[in-house]
Amino acid sequence: MKTDALIEVLARQAGPAPDFPVGRHLAAAAALGLLASSVLALALIGPLPAAVFYTAAPWIKLFYAILLLVGTSALAARLSRPASSTVMARAAVTSVFLLMLLAGAVTLITTPEGERWSALLGQTWWVCPWMLMMLSLPALTAILWAMRSLAPTRLKQAGFAAGLVAGVVGAMGYSLACPETSVAFVAVWYSLGIAMTGWVGQWLGPKVLRW
Amino acid sequence: MSSIIRMEQGKGYNASRDQKPITKEALPTLSGCNQTIIADELKDDEQHRDFESGLKPLWLRAQSGDELAYREALRLIAGRLRHYFRRHLMNLPDDVEDLVQETLLALHLHRGSYDPAQPVSAWVLGISRHKLMDLYRRRGRREALHEPIDGLEDYLAAVEPGETLANVDLRSLFEELPKAQRIAIEMTKLEGLSVTQASKLTGVSESAIKVQVHRGLKRLAALVRKEPK
Repeated sequence: MKTDALIEVLARQAGPAPDFPVGRHLAAAAALGLLASSVLALALIGPLPAAVFYTAAPWIKLFYAILLLVGTSALAARLSRPASSTVMARAAVTSVFLLMLLAGAVTLITTPEGERWSALLGQTWWVCPWMLMMLSLPALTAILWAMRSLAPTRLKQAGFAAGLVAGVVGAMGYSLACPETSVAFVAVWYSLGIAMTGWVGQWLGPKVLRW
Repeated sequence: MSSIIRMEQGKGYNASRDQKPITKEALPTLSGCNQTIIADELKDDEQHRDFESGLKPLWLRAQSGDELAYREALRLIAGRLRHYFRRHLMNLPDDVEDLVQETLLALHLHRGSYDPAQPVSAWVLGISRHKLMDLYRRRGRREALHEPIDGLEDYLAAVEPGETLANVDLRSLFEELPKAQRIAIEMTKLEGLSVTQASKLTGVSESAIKVQVHRGLKRLAALVRKEPK
């Protein structure tokens, strides 16, 4: 078939351009992932005692995750379209990460010297990033799946962004079961877990997002 | 409009198919390609601006449903794509027209992803580059098994500018679509019936016809990508 004939076929009765449901698809995938990570966290680890929710700790984690969710999902949405600029979204994500690290550093400095290590490492530093990443995998699957129906052209970056959103969603689920209370702990180990999920996404992106 | 069908039948064959395939060594590496692409894009800045200013008004009208503008826009884009791919597929001249067609299909299927705040050319280039990289990846793997060829230069010199025939005949790929999709495309896209007429003839709702057309083209795009050569 000649290219002119193909153009004829494509243009004929093409109608107006269809909607491109980036927000809807990504939001649905993230919501599904959040449900999965919450259920898994409660089933595998078990919920925190109700009294803990009257302290600041779980809310700090949640607040951090919500801030990150705004930036990372904007990034994922922009990378789901060809050629959309990602400068603002990247700046937003980076600044939330840095602000949280700064907050962690400040709380560490104000902690009495003898308690700093325990504030930083808590009881569970070596499980936290892995657990968080594991709880993120359903979300990662759902978000990559949703992205496939969109038009990502920068596959590594898009995969990384999908991984970050999934990591944040996993962090939300994990915060229902995680016993740690220090800001420094959240700043380091939650961030690491989210970044690790991002790297898994980055690795998967070029493999599963091709079209 | 069965003239298109008749015109195209039996044309899926291209003499250059008989050429021996190209070695992996003849292919540029992925990262090397990326660099030349970026350099060329800068060099073509001016040309690019002209392309943008010609395309943008047409494209905006096309997006809101102007069929004539859409056809015109696709023609402009096809010319630009041919130029772009020809330069980056020096070693794979046979693939140029196939890739032009594959990219046009992709642009059509994802045309909702265009954001009016950005230049159309950037959007087109984003998808074209993606398609080019995808082709490099596919070729890189498959061609690795073949022997090198002599006289590549003579062959390249013999490729004249202008549209060459695609190797993959889309018309014959239509036959592989599920019946409902094929009929919907044939009626509305080849025979030129309106969606309403097609709906009456088949007894399927208008929205279902549109869905079948879209799915059919999507399927076609997937078939084009898989077509071994």
